[in-house]
Amino acid sequence: MVRGSGSLLRSAGVGISTTLAEILVCPLSKQPLRHCPKTNSLISDSIGVSYPIVDGIPLLVPADAKIIDAGDIKDSEERDSTV
Amino acid sequence: MRAAADLCRRSLSSVLRRSCRLYCTDQNSRVKIFDRNLKRKQRDRAAWLMSSKDSLLDAVAENLLDRLEDCKKTFPTALCMGGSLEAIRRLLHGRGGIEKLIMMDTSHDMVKLCEQAEQSLPNKNVETSFIVADEEFLPVKESSLDLVISCLGLHWTNDLPGAMIQSRLALKPDGLFLAAILGGETLRELRIACTVAQMEREGGISPRLSPLAQYVIMEKALPYNTTCYDMDYLVAWESVTRAGFSLPGVDVDEYTVRYNSDFEERYRLATAAVYESMFAAEDGTIPATFQVIFMTGWREHPSQQRAKQRGSATVSFKDIQKQFGGGS
Repeated sequence: MVRGSGSLLRSAGVGISTTLAEILVCPLSKQPLRHCPKTNSLISDSIGVSYPIVDGIPLLVPADAKIIDAGDIKDSEERDSTV
Repeated sequence: MRAAADLCRRSLSSVLRRSCRLYCTDQNSRVKIFDRNLKRKQRDRAAWLMSSKDSLLDAVAENLLDRLEDCKKTFPTALCMGGSLEAIRRLLHGRGGIEKLIMMDTSHDMVKLCEQAEQSLPNKNVETSFIVADEEFLPVKESSLDLVISCLGLHWTNDLPGAMIQSRLALKPDGLFLAAILGGETLRELRIACTVAQMEREGGISPRLSPLAQYVIMEKALPYNTTCYDMDYLVAWESVTRAGFSLPGVDVDEYTVRYNSDFEERYRLATAAVYESMFAAEDGTIPATFQVIFMTGWREHPSQQRAKQRGSATVSFKDIQKQFGGGS
């Protein structure tokens, strides 16, 4: 049952399975990751870095990470402060 | 805008440095023996070229997985990292009671290959997920796994104890770490042949093969008298104990693979000539030795057995000998 839902998520190409969502953290800061559906990437808010998801496989090697533009960081900071 | 981006980059590099400091064991050593980016590309290439079954990889994976059968415990959540992923997945056959399996490698193509194999021949009752990540920067939450298994991948890490400490932290208490790495005796025939050929041609030598961990048995640590090899790059035993695992175990196995003589064409002629003259068997095949070091460790847990404090014994060994009739 669980397997079915996992493969459904993966075939859609967006997001990651619940198993991965539970255990994955940022490889550099070891802080939680947030999934961003718009860019289909995993974002580490603590250091402002995003990790891409390609074909449903998250790429969490530091060399593949992208630094998020300053504007995006400001946005997320603003959002955090309002929450 | 550019200044802000610069600031970001600088803060990232400081975070990188800080996290390195947190998870690396040897802060002063800046020597990077392996180029991990190049290794990643080599593994991409290996994914395109490798055959679906390799008897050596299968033998090592089988030996490693066999150890799961020795445990009464089951391991619902497991992480399989680096090396021969596909052999582990294929040969698992429901061992260890694994329900969720996460396959990890630094090479995207290797992971894709594994995913394709999983789709064509899925493991029953095992939910398999795939990630691309580096063993030296493990992206796994603390205390979230029951088993970490690595089959022939960790010998290419620059900081083996550091990678093992991260694995230990990712394990739940009483979780098992199982790894197989190549030891220093691996491909010794090729090492010797390369050295002799290069000495002959150039009058000097340079290393042509990856430096690998040496298996060292301290004569004092073990009761029986065994050969003591020289220490080289890393000591497997020290790595396991230094990473803080409880009930550590290290053992070594040697595999000899016999290749047909067409193997020699892959190497330079001088080396091939030396190799053949020194090591070829009568039937024309050439042997290659692969030394595999198996490492086992558990994350500490109060239920595990542990040694009592020194000097706390109340019975002398002499008395025990008398009791059990050791008069001879």
